[in-house]
This record gives sequence, C-alpha cells and structure tokens, in this order.
Amino acid sequence: MLDFEEELKKFHPSLEVEDAETYIHHTDVIDVVDLMIQLTEASRIYEE
Amino acid sequence: MRCFNCGAVLSGNDFCTNCGTDIRIYRRIMRLSNMYYNDGLKKAQVRDLSGAVESLRQSLKCNRNNIDARNLLGLVYFEMGEAVAALSEWVISKNIKPDRNVADDFIEEIQSNPTRLTGINQSLMKYNQALAYCHQESYDLAIIQLKKVLQMNSNLIVAYQLLGLLYLHTGEFGRARKTLENGRKIDKNNTLILSYLREAEAALEERDGNALPSSRRGGSHTRASSESIVYQSGNETIIQPLNTPERGGSSTFLNILIGLAVGIALMWFLVLPARIRSSAAENSDEMVQVSNELTAKSADIDELNKKISSLSVENRDLRDRVEALSGGGSFVETYDILAKAALNYIEHPDDVIATSNILEELVQGKNEEGEEEIAYSDAFNALYGYLNSNVSKKAAEEYTQKGMAAYEGDNYNEAITNLQNSYNIDPTNDKVLYYLASSYRNLGDSDKATELYSSLVNNFPDSEFLDSAKTYLRNGAENEANDQNNNNAGNQNTGTTPAPTTTEQILPGTDLTGGQAATPDPLMGIGAAGDI
Repeated sequence: MLDFEEELKKFHPSLEVEDAETYIHHTDVIDVVDLMIQLTEASRIYEE
Repeated sequence: MRCFNCGAVLSGNDFCTNCGTDIRIYRRIMRLSNMYYNDGLKKAQVRDLSGAVESLRQSLKCNRNNIDARNLLGLVYFEMGEAVAALSEWVISKNIKPDRNVADDFIEEIQSNPTRLTGINQSLMKYNQALAYCHQESYDLAIIQLKKVLQMNSNLIVAYQLLGLLYLHTGEFGRARKTLENGRKIDKNNTLILSYLREAEAALEERDGNALPSSRRGGSHTRASSESIVYQSGNETIIQPLNTPERGGSSTFLNILIGLAVGIALMWFLVLPARIRSSAAENSDEMVQVSNELTAKSADIDELNKKISSLSVENRDLRDRVEALSGGGSFVETYDILAKAALNYIEHPDDVIATSNILEELVQGKNEEGEEEIAYSDAFNALYGYLNSNVSKKAAEEYTQKGMAAYEGDNYNEAITNLQNSYNIDPTNDKVLYYLASSYRNLGDSDKATELYSSLVNNFPDSEFLDSAKTYLRNGAENEANDQNNNNAGNQNTGTTPAPTTTEQILPGTDLTGGQAATPDPLMGIGAAGDI
C-alpha cells in the first residue's frame, strides 16, 4: 500500500536550462581519489 | 594511468617509478571506478536506465575524471528525458578533457536544433509546474499538465512516474497501469515504476474480482440504481449511467436539417453581403475605368474627325487643281494652243488672221474678269505678248480693210463679219465701231445699230463720228423703225424700237419725238474722216 504523500516526496524538480550553470559549478565535489590524496598528505606530515 | 602525485606514467609496479609514491590504493580506486562504469554500461545496454545512472554515479564518485562514465551518464540522462542534466554532464566532461572528447558531438547535436532544446526545456518547466500542483493538491491540473509534458517530451521518466502515482491516487488504476507500462518501455528496471505498476495491477485485480460494490484505496463503487453506477474518485462522486439512450434516425435527420439551416443563415447574413459589397466595389471601379477610357476614345474620335474634315477639304482642293490642270483650258492645252499659234506665225507670217484666230482660243480660256485662272510662266506670257502685239494688230488692220471694202461694195454681211472681228481684236477703234453700226443699220437691224451707236457715243466722246451717231440716235432710228414697221407689216422682229432709256442715258433732255430731220448720210462722216 502506497503512501501518496511519502511517495510524492521522492520527486524533485527537474533541471532546467537556467539552472544548468549552477548545477555545473556545484558538481565539482570531492571524489575518493581526492580523499586518498588528502589522507596520504596527512600521513606524510604526521610521519615527519 | 598517471601518478596522482607527480603525473608520471605508471608502470606495472606498486609504486611510482618517478616519485616512489605507493599507488596500490589509487590503482584499486581506479579499478573500482571502471567496474562501476562497466556495470552502468551493461545496464544501459539493457535499458535499465535508472540502474545505469546509479552505477555511473558510483563510478564518478570514485573518479570524477572518468570521462567515459560521465559521457555515458549524460547519454542516459538524455534518454530519460533529462536533457539539461545530460548537457551539464557533457559540459563538465568537455572541461575535464577538451580534446578528442565525444561529448563535443553530443553538445553540437543538441545545439544544432535549438527548437528541440527549447521544447524539451518547456516540457521540464511544465513538469515542475505539475509537481507544484501536486504539492498544492490540485491533482486534476497536475494530470493535465503531465499529459502535455509527455506529448512534448515522451521520454521523461519522472513524468511517467508522477502521472502514474496521480492516477493511482485518484483511483484510475487502468490509466495508471497504461502510463506506467509506457514508462517501463523506456526504463525497464525503474524501481518506482515497477512498484507503482504492481500497486496498479493489484488494485485492478481486486476490483475485477469483486463484481459487487467494493472499497478501493482512493475510490469506491456503488450501483445506485439499474441505470447508473456511483463511485468515489478522490473527493468527487462519479455517477456513470449504464444505458445511454440511442439517438433515433429522426433526431439525426432533424439535427442535420438544423445544421443546414444555420449554415444557410450564416451564408445569407454574413458571407453574401460581404461578397455583394466586394462585387459592387469591383464593378464601380470597372465603371470608372471604362468611363475614363470612353472619354479618351471620344477625344481621339473628335480629333480624327477634324483631321478627316481638313483632309477632305485638302483633297477636294487638290482634285480641283488636278481637274484644272488636266481639263479644258488646262496648262497642256493652253501651251498647245500657244505653240500652234507660234508655229502658224512662223510658217505663215502673212496669214495673221489664222494666227489671230488661234490666239483667240486663248482669250476664250480666260475667266470672266479676263484673267487666267492659272498663273503661266514668264516665257509663256512673253511669247503670248509678242504674238498678240504683232499678229493681232495686223489682223485687226486686215479685218478692217476687208470690212471697209465689203461695206463700200454694199456687202454688209461680210462687212459686219470682218468689222466685228476687227473690233473684237481692237475695241479701241471707233471708226470700226461706227461702220459696224452703219452696216447693221443698212441691213435694217436698227436695234443692233442703235446699240453700237450708243456704245460709240458713250465710249468715244471725242470721236469724229460722234455727231453722225447722235443724229442717227435722235432721228434716224425712230424713223427707220417706223418705216420698217410700215413697210414690213407682220415683221417677226418685235424689238426693233430703240429703248428710250438708252437714248435718255446717252442724251439727257433730248427730245426724241421732235421734228423729222433728214437722215444724215453716214458716208459723209467717212468721207470727212478721209480714212477710207
């Protein structure tokens, strides 16, 4: 049995052309490689 | 693969041969990213678009610079109707790898058709509007809007999901199932679509299994009577009639007649007046044009008539001139006569009378005023003057001599002929005139004699024969007339009495009824003159 209100919360506004620029700028998130580099750098500093 | 620390190309070792950095974890991360990419590719190939999106997103979380994963994610988004999201992924991909990137082709293809991109964007805006309607509980408006969205962008998966959900909410399970099935054709393993579809099928099975009124989620059916079914759809109560009365043939025919009548009325009141006005305006314009042309033609005709009149006059003048030149008294004939006269004078210089007779024909060709109707050349006039002056004078003298000789021989008829010819040539000779009158008198023609005597008295007042002429006119004419009447009773000549008016004009106050004086002998005057 579906809960309409809960199901409705799963839907979000679709991306329009005017929003594309904002979307592109905020897509530049940190990936796992960045995390690894940061960890490696931190470990090296710690060892020193 | 390059070293994340120094950027050098990595070999098969677990460390970078350039900087010595341990790359084992980095290599695993890269493998993990590629694994997710491969998984997303496989899902995309079997149209599990939502699953492909999840795998590709995982791949990009491991390595955001995975160009293939990002490009494929854009393609999957585009196939799901999310064109703007797809375009954004391709733009990011292009920024990461500007050269030799397949994203260039995708972007170029979308940008080459701005109309299509605009339509997709409008469909997305309508979808957002429909979502807003849903939050405002305006479900009917949301359904209408979503139908429009799917007409414009038939691949938008979220629109199928939302419309299916709305149909389920409003109890339209059949429509919900149909909509969700259409969405499933695009994205086969979409979790939401599958769950909603299962709900719709379950609801349909439940409704079909219960013929009698049964409760449904979001709707209820009740047979209110034998003619209708009443059921609840959301907040609305639907009453559906079971038996719709069929329309009979007569009502159909009546509707057709009404439609024809309405059509004819529209034609009569709307179309025909406009056509009539248009035709009238066209006719008026044509009338004006024809009138102008008629006026111009009339002016041309008047002008041509004037030309015809002037040309007719000119033609008539020319014809008269041609007739004058070619007819009697024409140039040719006149010159011919003059040539004959000249030839005769050259051949017979002494036969001046014959030459004079020929020249007389020229004199007869002159008009009443004695002037030639046609202007002759100077040579003609000179020759004519020469002949006339030499020949006519001699001819007159010869005629006079012959006349006088005939007169003396009492041959008055011959005398009259010669003297008349002489007088015609030279009308200034009073002696010829006197003897011409005397010849007539002696022949008994007193009228002609009186006329010639009168002419002598009037035209030659200084003539030596003036007294003799007056004497005859005063006495002789009347006496001779009386004698003539007495001696020749029944004479045919009734005009022998000289006209008194003529005498009165000659001698005013003269008593023509005076005593009888002896008739003077005309020859006395001749003898006195001593000319003959």
